[in-house]
Amino acid sequence: MTTTDAPAPTPAPAPAPAETLLDVSGVTMRFGGLTAVNNVSLTVGRGEIIGLIGPNGAGKTTFFNCLTGLYVPTEGTVTYQGTVLPPKPHLVTQAGIARTFQNIRLFANMTVLENVQVGRHSRMHQGLLSAVLRGPGYRRSEQESRDRAMELLEFTGLAGKAEHLARNLPYGEQRKLEIARALASDPGLLLLDEPTAGMNPQETRAAEELVFAIRDRGVSVLVIEHDMRFIFNLCDRTAVLVQGQKIVEGDRETVQNDERVITAYLGAPLEGTAPVTETDQ
Amino acid sequence: MHDLPQQLANGLILGALYGLVAIGYTMVYGIVQLINFAHGEIVMVGGFGALTAYLALPGGTTLWLALPLMLIAGILVSTLTAVAAERFAYRPLRSAPRLAPLITAIGLSIALQQLVFAFYPDAKKARVFPKIPGDPFEIGSVAIQRSDIFLIIAAPLCMLALGWFVTRTRSGRAMQATSQDPDTAKLMGIDTDRIIVMAFAIGAAFAAVAAVAYGLRSGQVDFRMGFLLGLKAFTAAVLGGIGNIYGAMLGGITLGLAEALATGYIQHLPGMHLFGGGAWKDVWAFVLLIVVLLVRPQGLLGERVADRA
Repeated sequence: MTTTDAPAPTPAPAPAPAETLLDVSGVTMRFGGLTAVNNVSLTVGRGEIIGLIGPNGAGKTTFFNCLTGLYVPTEGTVTYQGTVLPPKPHLVTQAGIARTFQNIRLFANMTVLENVQVGRHSRMHQGLLSAVLRGPGYRRSEQESRDRAMELLEFTGLAGKAEHLARNLPYGEQRKLEIARALASDPGLLLLDEPTAGMNPQETRAAEELVFAIRDRGVSVLVIEHDMRFIFNLCDRTAVLVQGQKIVEGDRETVQNDERVITAYLGAPLEGTAPVTETDQ
Repeated sequence: MHDLPQQLANGLILGALYGLVAIGYTMVYGIVQLINFAHGEIVMVGGFGALTAYLALPGGTTLWLALPLMLIAGILVSTLTAVAAERFAYRPLRSAPRLAPLITAIGLSIALQQLVFAFYPDAKKARVFPKIPGDPFEIGSVAIQRSDIFLIIAAPLCMLALGWFVTRTRSGRAMQATSQDPDTAKLMGIDTDRIIVMAFAIGAAFAAVAAVAYGLRSGQVDFRMGFLLGLKAFTAAVLGGIGNIYGAMLGGITLGLAEALATGYIQHLPGMHLFGGGAWKDVWAFVLLIVVLLVRPQGLLGERVADRA
């Protein structure tokens, strides 16, 4: 059970040294001879927003997959609230970690509301027998799951489209729906995998607001992004992953001024040429 | 053509039977993309389960009391067999190439047939199954056997219950989610192994209902009954669009009607006088299958695979 189970909208604590929620220590993931993630350690405190950046193929998504039990790390442990996570995705969700995907993975042929209700799965208690007999327990849990799903749709601004099929939503709203679905499992930690991929600047701003609002609900966030402005506006700390290794972690200045980060993103300056001046993504 | 209403009624009843069995194929396929060729034998063991319950009851028990008990016994035997098959035969092959579980299913089908043949008392020939006694009901020019009343009541009830289960309960939604994207479903906290077991169990329960209906209709069960019934139900599932539960029932009914009408009338078509009557009745199902696969490979209610990916 998560601590956010009860509706206790505690105001977000300042990004001060918070209680550790997620503790990743020395995670290594090898596929045959390829080391996709190499000895990465990272902590996320309660109420923190942590960024994870790195060039394409740096192992960010693989790292997420290790956290959520889709992959079993070759080495290292992932501890959530003091307990080592079992390598089964549904038990990880049960423990309180939810995620979204880089390429949207909604249940396309189910309605918006049903998608969120599926997200609620691990927090619903509905015996098969009670469901078959349509007992009071069944009706209560259905009502509860509907109410909770509608509340999350309000929160993400999708309430008006509850009965639409997920595949008919525009792209930006599909991303929001993924977030609503993830929140439905009452997570203590939300993992966002490139939430603004393919969004225009306006939508990106809205996504920023949404992430802050999520943090204000008492959910910590770990976010993978390519959009530097998005990351630096949002995150208390940012870790940089390059070729499977964490090369630096810290606040905006630390990361932006780190030689290795610049090298990783823009390449090493040729000898005798002026340093690169553009600081785009 | 004066007996058309009768032929339509026969087709509908037969089709409902095919549809009930087809549900089992389509549910398992929808979740694990496995054609469970042993499903016909799941029907067969359900029939023998029901028969065993009937024989265990004291002689002279009224069928109104016996029938529910037979149904429960049949469902129990079918479900346990299917769940055991999933656990010990299919689950170890979950990540194997698709051909491996398919061959396993065929092997399992033969094994179940032979087990019943070898160990069930007197199963070497067909065993007599009770029928609901009494004259057929006459509705206008249509006569409906009393034994078919069971199917006429059970099939729609089963379909309604299934439709409600899939769309209105936590487990049903989890089942839809798993069939659309198993990996994402796991990350939503769904124990997909349980959902797979559930799909096998529901399919098997429907198979047992079909087995009792089959037994009542034909007055017998035998160890080979699952073969042709299973094959036709599989055809029905493909016809309706495999993976779609309503498609399975629609496919079953289409198949039943086609079979009844073809058997009754095809000899009246010019040049087809050799193909009429019961001797050719099993051919039409497969002719229809070939036509559908040529014209609409995704089935009546199926979606093109490209849309689903």
